[in-house]
Amino acid sequence: MPAPPPSSPPPSPPSSSPLQPHGWPRPLYRWGLALAAVIGATTVTLLDPFSYHELLLDRWFGPASPDLHGFTALLRHAVWLLVPLGMVTVVALSWSWLLQRQVTQRTRQLQWELNERRQIEMALRESEARFRDVTEATSDWIWEMNEQLRFTYLSERFYALTGIAPHQVIGQAPWEIGSAHSVADQEHGSQAWKVLEQRRPFRDFVYQTRLNGNQHEGRYLKVSGKPIHDVQGRFLGYRGTGADITDQIRAETALQNSELRLRRIIDLVPHMIFAKDRQGHFLLANRATATALGATVDELIQRSHAAIHRVDEETDRMLADDREVIDSGVPKFIAEETFTDHTGRARIMQTLKIPFVEPDLNETAVLGVAIDVTEQKHAKEEVARMRLYLRNIIDSMPSVLIGVDPWGYITVLNQAAEQAGGISWEAAQGRFFGDVFPQLERQFEQVRQAIRLGRPIKTPRMTLDLQGELHYADVMVYPLMADNASGAVIRMDDVTARVRIETTMVQTEKMLSVGGLAAGMAHEINNPLGAILQGSQNILRRIAPDRPQNRAVADAIGIDLDRLNLYLEQRQILRFLEGIREAGARAAKIVADMLSFSRRSESSFALGPLEEMLETVLRLAASDYDLKKKYDFKRIAIERDYDPHLRLVYCDKTEIEQVILNLLKNAAQAMAEEGTPAPMITLRTRRETDYALIEVIDNGPGMDEKTLKRIFEPFFTTKEVGAGTGLGLSVSYFIVTEQHNGRLSVLSKPGQGARFSIRLPLSREALP
Amino acid sequence: MTDWILIVDDEAMIRENLKAYLEDEGWRVAAFEFVAPALDWLRAGGGACRVCIMDMRLPDMDGNSAIRILHQAYPDLEFLIHTGSSSYSLPEDLRAMGLDDSRVYQKPLADMAPLAAAAQRLAARGGST
Repeated sequence: MPAPPPSSPPPSPPSSSPLQPHGWPRPLYRWGLALAAVIGATTVTLLDPFSYHELLLDRWFGPASPDLHGFTALLRHAVWLLVPLGMVTVVALSWSWLLQRQVTQRTRQLQWELNERRQIEMALRESEARFRDVTEATSDWIWEMNEQLRFTYLSERFYALTGIAPHQVIGQAPWEIGSAHSVADQEHGSQAWKVLEQRRPFRDFVYQTRLNGNQHEGRYLKVSGKPIHDVQGRFLGYRGTGADITDQIRAETALQNSELRLRRIIDLVPHMIFAKDRQGHFLLANRATATALGATVDELIQRSHAAIHRVDEETDRMLADDREVIDSGVPKFIAEETFTDHTGRARIMQTLKIPFVEPDLNETAVLGVAIDVTEQKHAKEEVARMRLYLRNIIDSMPSVLIGVDPWGYITVLNQAAEQAGGISWEAAQGRFFGDVFPQLERQFEQVRQAIRLGRPIKTPRMTLDLQGELHYADVMVYPLMADNASGAVIRMDDVTARVRIETTMVQTEKMLSVGGLAAGMAHEINNPLGAILQGSQNILRRIAPDRPQNRAVADAIGIDLDRLNLYLEQRQILRFLEGIREAGARAAKIVADMLSFSRRSESSFALGPLEEMLETVLRLAASDYDLKKKYDFKRIAIERDYDPHLRLVYCDKTEIEQVILNLLKNAAQAMAEEGTPAPMITLRTRRETDYALIEVIDNGPGMDEKTLKRIFEPFFTTKEVGAGTGLGLSVSYFIVTEQHNGRLSVLSKPGQGARFSIRLPLSREALP
Repeated sequence: MTDWILIVDDEAMIRENLKAYLEDEGWRVAAFEFVAPALDWLRAGGGACRVCIMDMRLPDMDGNSAIRILHQAYPDLEFLIHTGSSSYSLPEDLRAMGLDDSRVYQKPLADMAPLAAAAQRLAARGGST
């Protein structure tokens, strides 16, 4: 609300010429004096006791003769009388005329003056009324102060407006009841006090009363005043108007605060908020915008975008967007745009541009809000990268990983699982895992239990039949608890290789201990065995009838050697001797086998021609026809499946030949015992990445799992007592795994034959 | 004319069996439990002994040393090694004397014929030189 115009001094009556106390104009007064003199003279003349007039008559008519009598005298007197009378009449008439004129003039003047006065009064009254109305209509009041600058009068309006009681104000000096409104006003205020003391007029001084009145806070008053003086120019005090501008001040303050608050808010917002006109001049910018552009808010305003943001490509694009929004009048959302801030850091912004009409500009401008989404974008990319990374991790894990929901439906498969199930993740999704992985169907109970108990459930060494091969798998079911999305992950690890290695290690340990034991006692056993074997040989030789020395001795003592032999035969003594010899030989073989369970030097290693070696072994096996062992190798069909790329193998030729021979003999023996209808042995070689593979495959009776587990154990045999030492396979195993650092494994099922696989390392470095 | 063959072995039954077998094959056999008496026997004349079957683990010294001593004294003497030790391998200096793995016979010998044949070959070779 604008302050009332500086109160003009109350309209004073138009100043009039000073009135004389009697009220007559000076010329009239002079005329009046003259008239009075004439009347006085006439009267004197009429009553003239000294006949002065006679003299005069005489001068006029000549000296009066005494003979004048009657009429002449009368005439004389009459003329005397008539002349002054006529003169008086003339004078009176002219006086009256003059007077009349004067009166008329005066009356007119008075009337005019009266009129004037009335008009002035009217105007005064109107002015007063208007003034009163204005005063009453506005919140202004009138005040007066005495020469001590203490309030002597305040109009009712003041009390009504401020609620301050008269006694709080009357008799007080203004500085006793108020203080300046603001610092600026305080200076202004002290000047105002000074002005007051210097008795000069002042205007629009704002101060705050310390008096509360009916309000909680002091009121803001705005006063104007001018000094009053009496006619002699003596200072009488001050008179002036005042207004309560508390509401105005408050409204202004509120507005200011509101603007300040809005400013503060947009400066607090970390996003860039700005407004630009068509030419790209900043109309508004918050602190974030200014900071990003390396300027202050004030520096930005009214400057052009292009002048501040010196990345032409970006500036051009942004200004083009601005114009597009201004032209179309449609907001534009820019999901991602690059923005290089003043430090040169590239940011990714998400910007919304809205057209609006700037009131002062009267043309459409653009309001923009740009949010820095660099972090989010990076985070999003990071999430995507992480997702891929995790995917890679689970894919590169050799374990089969199957994610299932609580009902067993597949949610995730890793690559190993895709391979194991022969199905892609996408195809398997939503299917019951037991349908896709029948070998794991029984794990459903574990899945439910794992979820219920909230801990992993392990099924170690579960046996699996994978395309007819026996495999071992550790199956672990982990509950998934994150995000309330319960479910489970089934992890299956094929531990077949590990199980075999573990078994192998156990075997190796056993064999080494056997070997160590054998080495210690071999010498002690070999000597008595030598005595037995050599003794048996000598006995047989020395009872033979065909030897001349025998005959000579027999003849000398008179014994018929032939008859003795007949006796020995009939009494089976020769048979027993043969038994002793055989038993000794077998014992020697056992000791020799046991002795082979020790590490040997590599001296006997050489590149051996594999096919040649296999043929040698086949020949040896074929000649190993043994009636007693009831098998005939010649009856067995031999199939050769040799890899032409595998020719030479670095090995101890004799040892490997021994191993293969042993396997062939075992196969032949097993098939013979079982009476396999069309016995066949396949010899197969393959060049693998790191190994030379030699396989001996038969179609014999095969073995059960229990046998398989123990097959390489020393002294374990399925053959009848006496048929085998129980060391053949374990020696073979030892030769292959320990002496050649290779592998010997077996796959078999009852009724489905057996397949022994020897793997010898191709590189010499892999040798022990 | 029948050749002499020297046997040194501490195991009596081995000694006796070898002696019996070789005698049957027509050798004249001198068999000793210790090295020292064998050496004495050689010094005392030892006949035309050309071949020695030597055990390795002997009470008075080991077979390798015995061979070195005998070889030094009688360079023409040929040796066959008959050992019960499974881990025996020929020392290099013995190999330098012309011994090889074919001279080594592992106990127990189920058949003494190959040993006898080897002795025969060595005696024949020595005889021819």
